[in-house]
Amino acid sequence: MISVQEADFDSAALTAALRDRAGSGVGGIVTFVGYVRDYAPDSPTDTLYLEHYPGMCERELEEIAATARARWNLDGTVIVHRVGALSRNAQIVFVAAASAHRGDAFRGCEYIIDALKTRAPFWKRETLAGGNSFWVEQRQSDQDRTDAWDDDTSTTKERP
Amino acid sequence: MNGATINLLYFARVAELVGKRTEAWPLEGESTGAQLLAALGERYPQLAPASRLKLAINQTHSKPAAPIRPGDEVAVFEPVTGG
Repeated sequence: MISVQEADFDSAALTAALRDRAGSGVGGIVTFVGYVRDYAPDSPTDTLYLEHYPGMCERELEEIAATARARWNLDGTVIVHRVGALSRNAQIVFVAAASAHRGDAFRGCEYIIDALKTRAPFWKRETLAGGNSFWVEQRQSDQDRTDAWDDDTSTTKERP
Repeated sequence: MNGATINLLYFARVAELVGKRTEAWPLEGESTGAQLLAALGERYPQLAPASRLKLAINQTHSKPAAPIRPGDEVAVFEPVTGG
């Protein structure tokens, strides 16, 4: 399930819906929620504006989720990403992965959020409490994390 | 001249620097992403501060050597920062 939306989301409801869809073989669901935070300790964030590329964005998210499902034993995945103006502490992104086994669920969820941060066409514009605003630059550490999944050898599916 | 164009889309800081979000760009025959980026740099010197410009051709991330053909949708943007 993929959604790019302005509206806020309910993590518990999304998790319960995934549990219902995924069936009785599910042993666990790993979820990740991202929030708007202060990016620098001495300059509080006021708002974050999320721009995206409609169409391509949904396609990339579908592809990332499909890659995760092909790589690990997953019974279902969810990606919800908000766009538009978000206030400090607001929820930005929700990722969930359901599996019979915790290892697949943890790795699937982590892969999706890592891949999303370097492949899905979203851009953040941050406005500080003092009024300054700027486009956030991609961190090299995010790209390194995505690249590391290509070299990862511990990604074989667990036995059912 | 056959009047062939590509549909350019600009996002985030790139859109702010060029002052528009979309543009029909003339393209004769086949070109590459690198040639397009060079031509954009000449047309819009204000793009110079934009680092590491990326392209997506028909909504797929593309390398500079990728071919661009008339009718393509080509997006120009800086590295993404979602999540």
